[in-house]
Amino acid sequence: MTRKKRFLIGAALLVGAVTYLVYAGVRESSVYYLTIDEFLHKKATLVDEGVRVAGRVKDGSVAKKTSPTGTELQFVLTDFNKSDGVKVFYTGILPDMFAEGRDVIVEGKYARDGILRAQSVMTSCPSKYEAEADKTGAGGPAS
Amino acid sequence: MIDIGSLALALGLVLAAYAVVMSLVGALRRRRDLVASAEHAAYAVWGLTVIAVAYLLQLLVTHDFNVEYVAAYSSSTLPLNYTITALWGGQQGSLLFWLLILTSITSVVLLQNRERNRDLMPYVTAVLMIVSVFFLLMLNFITPPFQRLAFTPAEGRDLNPLLQNYWMQIHPPSLYLGYVGCAVPFAFAMAALITGKLGDVWIRTTRRWTLFAWFFLTLGNLFGAEWAYLVLGWGGYWAWDPVENAAFMPWLTCTALLHSVMIQEKKNMLKVWNMVLVILTFLLTIFGTFLTRSGVISSVHSFTQSGLGPFFIGFLALMSALSIGLLVWRLPLLKSENELDSLISRESTFLFNNLVLVGIAFAVFWGTVFPVISEAVRGVKITVGPPFFNKVNAPLGLILLFLTGVGPLIAWRRAGWKSIQRNLLPPLAVGFVSGVVMVGAGMRSYWALIAFPTGIFVLTGIVMEYYRGVRARQAVVGENPLRALFRLIAKNRRRYGGYIIHVGVVMAFFAITGTSIFKQEKQITVSVGQSFPMGSYTLRYEGIEQQSTPHIDYLRAKVAVLENGKQVDLLKPEKRFYKKPQQPTTEVAIRSTLGADLYTVLGSFDQDTKLATLQVYINPLVSFLWYGGLVMALGTAIVIWPGGVKSREPAYAPRRAGERVVAD
Repeated sequence: MTRKKRFLIGAALLVGAVTYLVYAGVRESSVYYLTIDEFLHKKATLVDEGVRVAGRVKDGSVAKKTSPTGTELQFVLTDFNKSDGVKVFYTGILPDMFAEGRDVIVEGKYARDGILRAQSVMTSCPSKYEAEADKTGAGGPAS
Repeated sequence: MIDIGSLALALGLVLAAYAVVMSLVGALRRRRDLVASAEHAAYAVWGLTVIAVAYLLQLLVTHDFNVEYVAAYSSSTLPLNYTITALWGGQQGSLLFWLLILTSITSVVLLQNRERNRDLMPYVTAVLMIVSVFFLLMLNFITPPFQRLAFTPAEGRDLNPLLQNYWMQIHPPSLYLGYVGCAVPFAFAMAALITGKLGDVWIRTTRRWTLFAWFFLTLGNLFGAEWAYLVLGWGGYWAWDPVENAAFMPWLTCTALLHSVMIQEKKNMLKVWNMVLVILTFLLTIFGTFLTRSGVISSVHSFTQSGLGPFFIGFLALMSALSIGLLVWRLPLLKSENELDSLISRESTFLFNNLVLVGIAFAVFWGTVFPVISEAVRGVKITVGPPFFNKVNAPLGLILLFLTGVGPLIAWRRAGWKSIQRNLLPPLAVGFVSGVVMVGAGMRSYWALIAFPTGIFVLTGIVMEYYRGVRARQAVVGENPLRALFRLIAKNRRRYGGYIIHVGVVMAFFAITGTSIFKQEKQITVSVGQSFPMGSYTLRYEGIEQQSTPHIDYLRAKVAVLENGKQVDLLKPEKRFYKKPQQPTTEVAIRSTLGADLYTVLGSFDQDTKLATLQVYINPLVSFLWYGGLVMALGTAIVIWPGGVKSREPAYAPRRAGERVVAD
């Protein structure tokens, strides 16, 4: 029996370690995942928080500035009804699927000055092209 | 008018349902004729699926844009190979392709077992056909692939350019073969539970299938990683995306299963645990398909969008309830016939390896579904990104790597101090010394200083095992070393093939360590002629090349790679602008050496200022991942290869058992 007990102690240690790692991992690296609607609604409470916001790139809002210090990109992430939006600053490589009118997910920090500084901009994975095709079909001129 | 494809799918549904009912009735009433009829129906479902697939292919190849699927995922200018792979480029086609693989595998299983396992087979047929029924229901009612449009577009919207890639041609088939392969052990496990024949017959029968599934899951994951690395252009190969996790989780539990069945075979222990792993693996494959196909996790507006979601959840719930119910019902018959002899033994190493693998699977699962859970519990969607997965899995992965080294070297049952001294200490010492050397060479990262020496410990152990095996053969049979090595592997492919797989695993660990710790990254905006240092290289931007074809506009940066003042390479990272559908794609340019990849991306180019923004990465050891994958595939092929001497070591043979191998 003691052998079994020893093994169980080892197993319990492992399970404990996994639990702890998962718990600590969640606490340290979780960010709010919001639609732009929700974000705009309570953005005042989100200052300096890590957020991940899903919205649509407003038509005509993308501005790109290339200077010797790098490429800076600005665009407005809007509500799905395109009424209101938040300004996003991003320096980095854009995913290929990024375009005006597309749905994107922006991860970054929302600052007091009302600008969402993005660490990353994601578009939907191409294996979910399905949704993409549907959107272009319904949303705007399909190519 | 109904087309032949839809007709085939409708008939297939009827026949699949018939096969489920008849095989169950036949088994309960002991009516061989009904069981035979069910099997024939199962073959017929395969035939009908082939017809449906052939029809869809014909529509694709003949560019019948009146069909919604063809219009959505192909065009008249799409090359033939991609037109064919458009079969799995979209939702409906993917599910149809899944069904094709499932029914094909079902037919092979039926053929293999015409004379064998007759008591189990009716239930095996029933379980596999239930899964077919599920996919056929979707294909008939939720995502019919042959839907026609009210009008005929002049041109299709084309396959997403990102999917027009070599690796995307072979990644989905591999992954699906892996997914579907997991259904076979599951079906046999269920049959064993229902019939109460819970000996190791079902495990022996499905061992090759489990390996088959594992082989393709491994390849599927690797091909996907390779695709991400080459196509997505962010410098990495793994981002803990839900879709990636979906493919990774069943791989983890399947790996656990491959190890723990050995204990059941040798010691008649862990019967419940193995059942749990089989069930878990199967459910995870369905869950994975669900994650990939429905987009539950990554889309913020939950899965009410597609009718697929609830349907999948329903099926998952049904299968979980059925399989867990059966398992609980049979618990009394699943008593272990043995107990663990000692904590210091191969059995317990395997047990811990299993716990760690399942722990990793759990962590990945938790991180993947966390947004859904947090929304349900707290009303806010909270997501955890790659840092979560890395933090949790790095320590667990290293424990696993260590156990990979210990497992093969420690004795079954109880390892005495003597055998530990003899088998375990030398490789541990080598690992330790390598660590000291690395510190001496200036390596300061704790993670790397754990990972590399641990890997070297594992490799040393494997080399030692081979060496001893060869020496034993030489001593006894007097063969030359090469022949002895060859015979050694041939005589005990399961063991020595397994070691080769371990070598591949260590290589993958080296690659993961190298890329996650020593990766260098730089974004720089340059004018023509400007150079900048990157790692041991100097890169010089030589200007832009532009090219235009009717379908694609190309923008190519010319980047000279200099080493010690001499040009060694000219890289041309590229941006393509597809004109239809309008979409840019990034084509990375890589200078790959065994030590590291120099990975360049053209971020953007400004026509007015002629400035180009480049994103440059140095990815140390990344090629070890691809070579490691090849090594794993080779090892698996050795283990799985049919025929040959089917040999197993007796459970408690002495350690130098090279010659003492007995046939079953």
